[in-house]
Formats: sequence, C-alpha cells, structure tokens
Amino acid sequence: MIQLESYLIISAIVFVLGIFTILYKKNAVGILMGVELILNSVNLNFIAFARYIDTYINGQLVAIFIIILAASEAAVALAIILNMYRDRRSVDVTKMDEMKN
Amino acid sequence: MNNLNSLQYFLPELFLSASILIIIIVDLLLKKDKKIITAYLSVLAVLVAFFLAYRQYNYAFTSLFEGMIVLDSFAVYFKVLTALSTIIVIFISMPAFRRHSEYYILLLVVTLGMFLMVEVNDLLMIIIAMEMVGIISYVLAGFNKFNMKSNEASLKYVLYGAASTGVMAFGFSYIYGLTGHTNLFAIQQAIVGHSLQPLPVFIAFVMVVAGLGYKIAMVPFHFWVPDVYEGAPTPITAFLSVGPKAAGIALFIRFLITVVAHPASQTTFIQNVQIQAPLLLAVLAVVTMTLGNVSALGQKNIKRMLGYSAIAHVGYMMMALVVFNTRGFTAIMFYMVVYMFMNFGAFWVVQSMTPHLGSEDISAYKGLGYRHPLTAVAMAVFMLSLTGIPPFAGFIGKVYLFAAIIKQNWYTLAVIGVINGVISLYYYAYVIKVMFLDRDEEIKAISVPLYDRVLLWLLLIPVLALGVYWGPLIDLAHNSIGFFFGN
Amino acid sequence: MTGFYIVFLFLVLGMLIVAVTLLLSRLLQPRKREKDKFIPYECGIVPEGEAWIQFNNRFYVIALIFIIFDVEVLFLFPWAVVFDTMGMVAFVEMMIFIAILLVGLAYVWAKGDLNWVKPKPRLAHLAKKKGE
Repeated sequence: MIQLESYLIISAIVFVLGIFTILYKKNAVGILMGVELILNSVNLNFIAFARYIDTYINGQLVAIFIIILAASEAAVALAIILNMYRDRRSVDVTKMDEMKN
Repeated sequence: MNNLNSLQYFLPELFLSASILIIIIVDLLLKKDKKIITAYLSVLAVLVAFFLAYRQYNYAFTSLFEGMIVLDSFAVYFKVLTALSTIIVIFISMPAFRRHSEYYILLLVVTLGMFLMVEVNDLLMIIIAMEMVGIISYVLAGFNKFNMKSNEASLKYVLYGAASTGVMAFGFSYIYGLTGHTNLFAIQQAIVGHSLQPLPVFIAFVMVVAGLGYKIAMVPFHFWVPDVYEGAPTPITAFLSVGPKAAGIALFIRFLITVVAHPASQTTFIQNVQIQAPLLLAVLAVVTMTLGNVSALGQKNIKRMLGYSAIAHVGYMMMALVVFNTRGFTAIMFYMVVYMFMNFGAFWVVQSMTPHLGSEDISAYKGLGYRHPLTAVAMAVFMLSLTGIPPFAGFIGKVYLFAAIIKQNWYTLAVIGVINGVISLYYYAYVIKVMFLDRDEEIKAISVPLYDRVLLWLLLIPVLALGVYWGPLIDLAHNSIGFFFGN
Repeated sequence: MTGFYIVFLFLVLGMLIVAVTLLLSRLLQPRKREKDKFIPYECGIVPEGEAWIQFNNRFYVIALIFIIFDVEVLFLFPWAVVFDTMGMVAFVEMMIFIAILLVGLAYVWAKGDLNWVKPKPRLAHLAKKKGE
C-alpha cells in the first residue's frame, strides 16, 4: 500500500517545479505550462486526500472541476498569447514593457 | 436543502444564465449597425437580476445546493452592489463600444460570477466562482484587440491570475487534507474540534490569502494592477476596481468569518491554530495603503494613478477587517458603495474626456476648469471624495473605517491611515490644480453630449448625497452583516 | 499478488528479448560514420529549413475550440455513474448542460470560426443581402 505521504511529496515537488517555471520562463507559453503543473499538483493533492482522509469523494469532484477550469483558462490564455503574437511577433514576457514609467 | 428545492432561491442567477444564452443568440441575428441593442438587452437583464436579488433581502438564512451556496442578507447586499456596478459600467461603455456586442455579454457573465462569489460556501465553489470572474476579466482587459497596451495588460493579467489561482487552489487542497471537508462550516468545526498542526494550517492560510489578495489587489499581490489598469479599456478598468473587487472582499470576509473565526463568539479568531491573523492583516493593510499611495505620487497617466489609488483604498478597507467585528464589516460595506460611485465617477470623466483631450496624461487636463467647468468641478468632487475631505461621501466612509479601528484601540494603525490620507491628498489635489490653476492662453471650450452630462450627474449626486445623508445605507449595511453574529 | 507472476514473467521476458536483439544487432552491424547519417530522418527526403517552423494560426484557433468541447465531456463521466440512481432529473440536467454547450457551438459556427479559411460572418452577410 502506498502511503499518503508519497503523494504529498510528489505533489509538493510538482508544485515547486511549477512555481520555478513561472518565475524563470521568459516565454509566455512556458509560464502557462508552469501554471498547468501547479494545477496538476493541486489535483493530485485533492485526489490523494479524497482517497485517504475524506469519507466522501468531494476531493475527486474538485479535481474534475479543476481539470476543466485549467483547460478553459489555458484556452483563454493561449488566445490572448496568440493575439499578442499577431501584434508583436514575440511571446517573450521580458519584452513586454509598453507601460513602464 | 437539496438541488431541486434550491432552485427557487436561485432565481437571480438562473435568470442571468438564461438571459446570457438568449442574448448570445439574439446578438448573432442582429445586423452590424444594430448591435447596440445587445447593450440595452444586457442592461435590462442586469436590472431584472438586480430586483430579483433585492427581493431576496428578507429571506432567512438558507443553505442551498447541499451546502454549496448560502443565501443570506450579506450575500444579497453584495449581489445588489455588484449588479449596480455592472449597470453603471454598461452605461459608461455604451458610447465607446457600439459595435462590440460580445463585450456586454461578457460583462453579464462576470456579473453571474460575482453573484456566485458573494454566496459561496464551499472550497469548490470558491474556485469556480473566482475563475468565472477571473477568466472573463482577462478577456475584457484585452478587449481592444489591436491596441498593444490592451494586449499586454490582458497577457500580464492572465499569467499572474492563473498562477495566483493555482497557488490558492493548492492552499485549499491542504485545508481539505487537514480537515477532510470542502464545506466551509464543516471545515470550521473540524478546525475547532481537533488540534491541528500549526505549520500546515499557516501555509494553507497564507496561500489562500495570496489568492484572495490577488483578486482584491492587495500588496504584495498587486503587481499586476498598474499595468492592467493602464492598458485595459477605461470602462473595464473602472469595473475591475469596483465590481470584482467588491465580490473579492465579500468572499474574503466570508472566508474569514466562516473558517478562521471562532464559532462561539465569532468575533475572535480561532486560537488553536495560532495564526496571528489580526496582526498579519494589519501589516498587510499598512503595506497596501502606503505602497499604493506612495507609488501614485509620481504618476503621469491618470488611469495608472487611479490604479495605484485603488490599491490604497483596498488598504483602507482592509484596515477595518483587522478589528473583525460588526462595526468593521459595516464600515467596509458602506465604504464599498461610496467607493463605487466616486471611482466610477472619476473613471467616467477620464472616459468621456479622453477623446476631447487626446490623451490620458494628467497634464492633458490642463485648464479643463475653463474648457468645461461642469466636468472639471465633478472631477474635483470625485478627487476630494477619494481623498476623504468633508462634506463628500468619501469622508463619511473613512470616518466609519477609522472609528471601527479606534474603538478597538488600534491607534498606530489609525495614525498610519491618517498619514496615508495626507499623502493621497497630494496627488488627488494635483489633478485639481492642473484643471483649475494651470490655464492656456486661449480657452477652447469642449462641447459635451447630453448623455455624458446626465451620466455625470447620476454619478455625482450619490457622492454628494451620501456625504450629508448616509443613515439608511449604513443601517442597511449593518442589518446585512447582522446574521453573522446571531441577531 | 498470486495471479500476477505470469504478468511479471512476461514483462521480464519481453524486456530480455528486446535487450538481446538490440545487443546482437549492435555487435553485428557494420559502423561507418558518414555525414548524411546524422541528418534527422524525414521519410527519406532531405530535410529543408529548421524544425521550428511557423504553423498557421488557424491550427491554434481550431485546437482551442476543440479543447473546450472536448474537456466538457469530462462532466459526462460522473453523470453516467449516478444516472441510474437519479433518473429523469439527471437526464434533464445534462440536456440543459449540453444545450448551453450547443449555444457556444452555434456562436462559433455563426462567426465562421469552424471553417479553415475564415469567411465573413455568415449571418451578417445574409442579412445584408436580404435587407438592402
């Protein structure tokens, strides 16, 4: 039997990787990937807790909804990135400084 | 209450959902030059939802959809407020967005999201409602597709927003793991009933505060605000600083009261998790208002300046959150209404004047007091009200906020708040100075359409009226919060 | 665990066979380093340009539309699980849900985003013909 701790460690690692991806990627799509990593670590947490702690399966429901939210969020974000690319021919977030004072 | 029986208490939301679908279909069938009809239909839909929500005011506390959603007067107060903000923002947008009918439909969806946000009672629903508001806001911020600034604003907004939602959801997953429940009431009971490890609770709490703080533009999660506020279309900037923010604050209050507060007294934070919540919130409030005000000082773009001032106002409201009692919450709810009118007023002046002045820079407002006195005077009133100068509504709002914290002996906090008010006077008064004291040699009068003037008056009158006669509104706010404390 | 030893055996055997064949071919093959051998293989044609080519934007748009409708199907799984116990209510609820999705599809269709070459929005076009 796999312990709950294993899941939590994995999800914590994935979460931290996601945070680092967000902080260090210059490419907007790369940052989006980091967000997906975070959301997947959340899902893993919820499902593991639903299996080990909850008497109901609320956590699994939350995970389903988070998958869907992640997809819709990614769809919107990609559409925005696409729009950005049409204007600027680049998706490098460090070059976005139209409004720096 | 089970799902089918809940539907009768869910009328405003059901009506909004149905009207969104119908308006999408109607919009497709409209000819290109008749697209403005969508805007009229949207106003009508929100108005009906507004009255349906208002009718719920006297309902007793009801828990809907197996505890996913709760209906209480606190939720109704904020529902009415957010519906009103949507109506105003549609009127603000109408002159500029005559062709883009999707814009109004998206606003309706945000309204539905805000309705849900103020009545959630489950971790799952919190995530869904916040994303519903968030995702649509990202699109709205970038609605001017061919404007570089607008694009950049929406890209920054979506990336930061997605990340903060992820972090918040991670915090929720730990809360769920610690307590085994997603229902907020059940979570509270579990926290009180068991002695939990303080560290994971603290981590989860901080992560959740990060997510919610992002939504209400609280320092240190504010970094998206200036760019998004400057880049987004002006009506959307105004909307983001009022509607979703009000919903975010409502959610924040509800989360604090139902999860972190002690169920017996409900005015103190739970002791056994050892979170120094009041102190933490006080520090955040101080940092938020100070940073907002200091950054606003040197701004040249008026939208960016108002963006920073919006951060400062969140700081003022959070100040009253610290005391965590009826008085504080009442002050916040009152201030939110006042803030809505004065902020929308300021942004409406920006929106209606930008075509005439040709720029969003503060320097472009030079001599406006002679070019169109009514607008300039109105803008001066909004600025003074935002500063908190009597006899305008902003002053009354601030008095209640400060009274709430002084009653609980948070003197240092109050002093810092007052100092911040003085700092803010500098940049608000600067706008007035530019409008009235600087003048060109020749005065080119601006002719403002009737529609613009009427809307200006409609926003100006509440600011003036609430400055002298605020009793009913404060009573309403007080009654709305009452149920949390059992009266 | 009792029945699974056959699976385990198959797994080990499979790995072994693969490893042995790879090793054998490695030992037997003649090895000559030539420049052409290091070019990426593209169905036998000499590759041209870089691998990082630009895709048509329409791919993204259509993929975006697809992913939204694809992921929504996820809701059908939990629905199917409880369908037996909930009966008619569940059926009606799911029909409403799908109707909402269909409004979205109708929107995309009317805006002409389902076509590869995006035409002028069809409904506006028709309206113009009729009206003027």
